[in-house]
Amino acid sequence: MARLRTSFANVVAACVVALHLVLLPALYYGLGYVVRKSHEDMFIEHARTFARVLADEFELGVALESDSRTEDLLDLAIVHGDGRYAELTDGGRSVRSKLGSPNIETPRRTDLTFEEGDDDIYFVVLPIVHAGHSAELRLGFDEQPTLERIHLALNRMLMALTVYFGVAMVIAIVLSRRLSRPIHRLQDVSRSIASGDYAQPLHVATGIRELHELAADLEDMRRELVGVNDRLQAKIKEKEISEIQREELQKLLRHRQRLETVGTLAGGIAHEFNNVLVPIILFTDTALQDLPASSASRADLERVLAAAQRAKDVVKKILTFSRELGDAKLALVDLRAVIAEGLNLFSALASPSIEIRTEIAETIAPVRADATLAVHLVINLCTNAYQAMQGTQGVLTVGLRNLPNSSLAGETRARVEFWVSDTGHGMDLETAERIFEPFFTTRSVGVGTGLGLSVVHGIVESFGATIVVETAPGKGSTFRIYFPAVLREEWPTESMAPVA
Amino acid sequence: MQNVLVVDDELDVRDAIKRVLDRAGYFVRTTSDAADALAELRRCHADVVITDIIMPKINGVEAIDSIRKEFPAVRIIAISGGGNFGITAYQPAAITTTAYLAAASRAGAHLVLTKPFESKDLIQAVEQVLGVGHA
Repeated sequence: MARLRTSFANVVAACVVALHLVLLPALYYGLGYVVRKSHEDMFIEHARTFARVLADEFELGVALESDSRTEDLLDLAIVHGDGRYAELTDGGRSVRSKLGSPNIETPRRTDLTFEEGDDDIYFVVLPIVHAGHSAELRLGFDEQPTLERIHLALNRMLMALTVYFGVAMVIAIVLSRRLSRPIHRLQDVSRSIASGDYAQPLHVATGIRELHELAADLEDMRRELVGVNDRLQAKIKEKEISEIQREELQKLLRHRQRLETVGTLAGGIAHEFNNVLVPIILFTDTALQDLPASSASRADLERVLAAAQRAKDVVKKILTFSRELGDAKLALVDLRAVIAEGLNLFSALASPSIEIRTEIAETIAPVRADATLAVHLVINLCTNAYQAMQGTQGVLTVGLRNLPNSSLAGETRARVEFWVSDTGHGMDLETAERIFEPFFTTRSVGVGTGLGLSVVHGIVESFGATIVVETAPGKGSTFRIYFPAVLREEWPTESMAPVA
Repeated sequence: MQNVLVVDDELDVRDAIKRVLDRAGYFVRTTSDAADALAELRRCHADVVITDIIMPKINGVEAIDSIRKEFPAVRIIAISGGGNFGITAYQPAAITTTAYLAAASRAGAHLVLTKPFESKDLIQAVEQVLGVGHA
């Protein structure tokens, strides 16, 4: 069932009206009673006092002596005492003021309260005792003027209360408007927040502490929302950027793999060519030795040799292209950049189940290496570590630090240590001793495995560096490569090679 | 006369080497694989073994290892023209010639020679491992 909802201002106005509807009639009747009662009391007090004074006058006896004196005194009561009726009875004599209302016949002796009967007259009867007289003074006072004053007072009171009620309503409406203004403002801002607009700050000017605190709390919430929103946006942006980087890296990696495939193919062709060139060169050599110096064929065979030499040069070029010759172009290299590049490429391939940690020192002495080969070194070692941890939630750690006094094979010098450790299956001693051999895991021709670490070894050797492995079954493996550090005084003449 | 055993899976290569060394005054025998070479060595002594590295069945590095163990006195020359096993193998910037020959050296080859070479390089290499001329 739908619940009837009304505004805060209406509730306040309704409360004020309800309160006044209860209070105002009670106030009206209460005050009315007091006003009426005080007027009545004053009237009765006045009537009785007046009657007493008149009675005292009669008791002096002077007025009783003649009817005209008596009538004069009775007229006084009518003229000055708001009387409507005045009569004195003395035995069989009865004197009545002619100024009173003529139609009042019989004064009631029992009319001792205000507004008794329906004649608007208040009767007072007093006995007068004086020198054998047994007279009775009967006076009737007009209630009308007092009644009019009471009605006037009640009307004024009603008017005052009505004005008060009106003013109270106006004040209630104004107050409720003022109260509801900050609430409406809060409502507007919370609506705009709900619709996704967090930018508007919540400034609510109000003197009401609870509303002020509520607004401050809402403003805190809004700021928190803005912060959360900003952080989320930044995260999304970061993710987009890393996605783009990942795509670029994968593109780069695919490009490199294509190049490597071409290189591997070229290497195979070069191998075949080299084998073909051996008999051509050697047989031509021996044939030349056999021929007499005058033979016309000598020149031809010398041309065969020259052609073979050219073919050898071509093969050399192919090998150079595919880097088959392995003549690393050594230059000063910053291993930090090399590792960053290698890890970038590697992480594009590695499964997220592997956690990659780095422990890389802030400053690292340069080393002499081929930057491209060094990147491959990093990828090969990481790939090897990754394969050792396949199917597990492993940790791969890559580290780099300066060793100012490193002793190795009897030589102490400054070296740079680069290590890759894994939490994989590890190796026994026998295996560890042979892992760098090119054919260690390759038992038959045509299976191209088991060269990864021998390639690593070849690259390390070509840099004049040394590789050692620390491992035990079930304990993971750590490969440590010690590069001779190039000292500061040695490097101003050479410029740093950029990482490929 | 000193005995040389040439091990190479390519007929033309081993015949050409044989021709050059024959003429240089060595007694040369040839085999096409490492297993035959070991059998030949057991049958008849050789002073020098010239072996290819990339060969079917048993590769040159293993062959050198076996020869060094069984015949420690034999001088060994490893020859290689580089190249790769299988073109799909992942071998980043393969430095295989260097790697193979380095592996051969570690296995015990006294000298390594890159294919192709000229007659004089070959003769010089054999003389070198035998300690003739060069020290």
